[in-house]
Amino acid sequence: MKKMKSSNRDTVRVFGGWPLLIACIVIVAVLVVIGFVGENNIRRILIRMFLYCAMAVVWNLMSGYTGMTSLGQQAFVGIAGYSMAVMTSTYLASYWVGLLVGGAIGAVLALVLAVILFRMRGMYFAIATWVIAEALKTFFLSWKFVNQGGGLSVMGRPTDRTIIYMVALLICVAAIVTVYLLLNSKLGLGLTAMRDDPDAASSVGVNIFKSKLICFVVAGIFTALAGGWYFLNNVSIYPNSGFGNSWTVAVVFIVIIGGIGTMAGPIVGSVVYIMLSEILADYPGWSNIILGFIAILVILFLPDGIIGTLQKKLKFEILSQKRFSQE
Amino acid sequence: MQYLINGILLGGIYALLGVGMTMMFGIVKLTNLAHGEFIIMGAFASTMLAQWLGVDPIVTLIITVPLMFLIGVLLQTVLINRVMLQGSEPALLVTFGLSIIIQDALLLLFTADAQRANVAYNTATIPLFGNLYLPVLDLIVFAISLLTILVLTIFLRKTYMGRAIRATSDDTTAATLMGVSVKKTYAIAMGIAMATAAVAGLGVGMRWTFYPSSGGSYLLIAFGVVVIGGMGSIPGTLVAGLVFGLAQVIGGAQYGTLISYILLIIMLAVRPQGLFSK
Repeated sequence: MKKMKSSNRDTVRVFGGWPLLIACIVIVAVLVVIGFVGENNIRRILIRMFLYCAMAVVWNLMSGYTGMTSLGQQAFVGIAGYSMAVMTSTYLASYWVGLLVGGAIGAVLALVLAVILFRMRGMYFAIATWVIAEALKTFFLSWKFVNQGGGLSVMGRPTDRTIIYMVALLICVAAIVTVYLLLNSKLGLGLTAMRDDPDAASSVGVNIFKSKLICFVVAGIFTALAGGWYFLNNVSIYPNSGFGNSWTVAVVFIVIIGGIGTMAGPIVGSVVYIMLSEILADYPGWSNIILGFIAILVILFLPDGIIGTLQKKLKFEILSQKRFSQE
Repeated sequence: MQYLINGILLGGIYALLGVGMTMMFGIVKLTNLAHGEFIIMGAFASTMLAQWLGVDPIVTLIITVPLMFLIGVLLQTVLINRVMLQGSEPALLVTFGLSIIIQDALLLLFTADAQRANVAYNTATIPLFGNLYLPVLDLIVFAISLLTILVLTIFLRKTYMGRAIRATSDDTTAATLMGVSVKKTYAIAMGIAMATAAVAGLGVGMRWTFYPSSGGSYLLIAFGVVVIGGMGSIPGTLVAGLVFGLAQVIGGAQYGTLISYILLIIMLAVRPQGLFSK
């Protein structure tokens, strides 16, 4: 944890914003304290929030900054969840092995898929990612090694929830810091140029393929890590839960509500999403309908999301990746 | 040989699944991620109406087709025309939101149970020479599908509205100058797409068991038909339907869908403009 914060400090200092850095440290410190002393129910909610936040932050990196709108992130969640289950129950390894194997397979999957997907743009990309996730689900439904549709159990889940909580927080913070560093690097500048005009960016020397590949693989790894850890906490996995498109629904909702293409958007969005879904849990069946309506209304009337609208109204940017935001 | 017959007969309904998607793609330039849910809506409407009224599911088209047409026109006018002003990505995400809403609404209304529009001729066959036979149900669904596609083709070619739609598809600016209202045309196109979804839904309901959550897989097949057939090409759509029909028959219940998906991914990677693009 300490190491993470010190590397965070360096970056933020370079781009100004001491108050912001202090605020971030305070928030993370409070979250760590809650992890030790918090009520179980609050910790359960926060674990979900961290994992969804990690997935949303990297989805935003793809969709909001590089124009790759993936509707198939559940491919990574499912693969990692199954890695966790297979490693712990079939091979009786520890959940750390399960987590790392899931992350590694997520990275490999992203590399392989990139070869196919990067030939496509826009809606073709979106649909192709979905088809791939569906194909994986169909395959797992008939794959004997993973017990077909019967699902698998995750073994050896730590009895102490604090470990699950801390690692979930770590995955979330690592995802945010990674995306922040990426966007503030030279690559980030290229990415924004690429999103706005791929041809022009390419002609001034932005290596589109490399930049997209880095984003896609980073997104794949963090989605896989978060997904694997989710299923450790959840204990059992089925093709329909691992590869279900509710993952993408949640992530898309979070990013749209928070503000697509803003650094703080997915973070705020995941807080809103988790709060809403906790409230709506009392009305089973209705939650997705209501979330869907909210998302459509937000797209219609607040197309920049909560953070995007606030930034425009108040001319103020949180965690900005702009070079000259202090004029 | 029997595979070929079954595959061809299934191809009709697959082509029909893709027709509404092609129209939205080619004319409105919208990727409608809710098309699968529209089809399932049609399937539920026909199945339920047929049960309540005690008629053959085919008869329910008299109600479902105009109803779905109206819903489509409304949806496009009230919602999608507005979102499309913001660009294609928000529009894509709105249709994604719609698909989630419809899917969960169907789940609330009809529970997660398997549904099927039962007909007396479910298992009837017409013997041909040798061991070959024609399944009556498949034949009827095939005929309905082809008829729908034929009617649609004639409408697009011969009527004023049809020509206006095609003109808008080819050159939006020129069509506007000629006095075509683009928004109205889009609304009608969406209406027609939903009407075809109503007919396709009937076919799905008669031919397969379906669930509120089935929309996704039919969307992907519809999309596959569009991609393999090439946008806006009706003969292409028919051939693509046939390809998927054969894949389904050869792969069987277990691998048919997987084969279709893999075909689609290969196609997207190698030739996304389709085999029959203009």
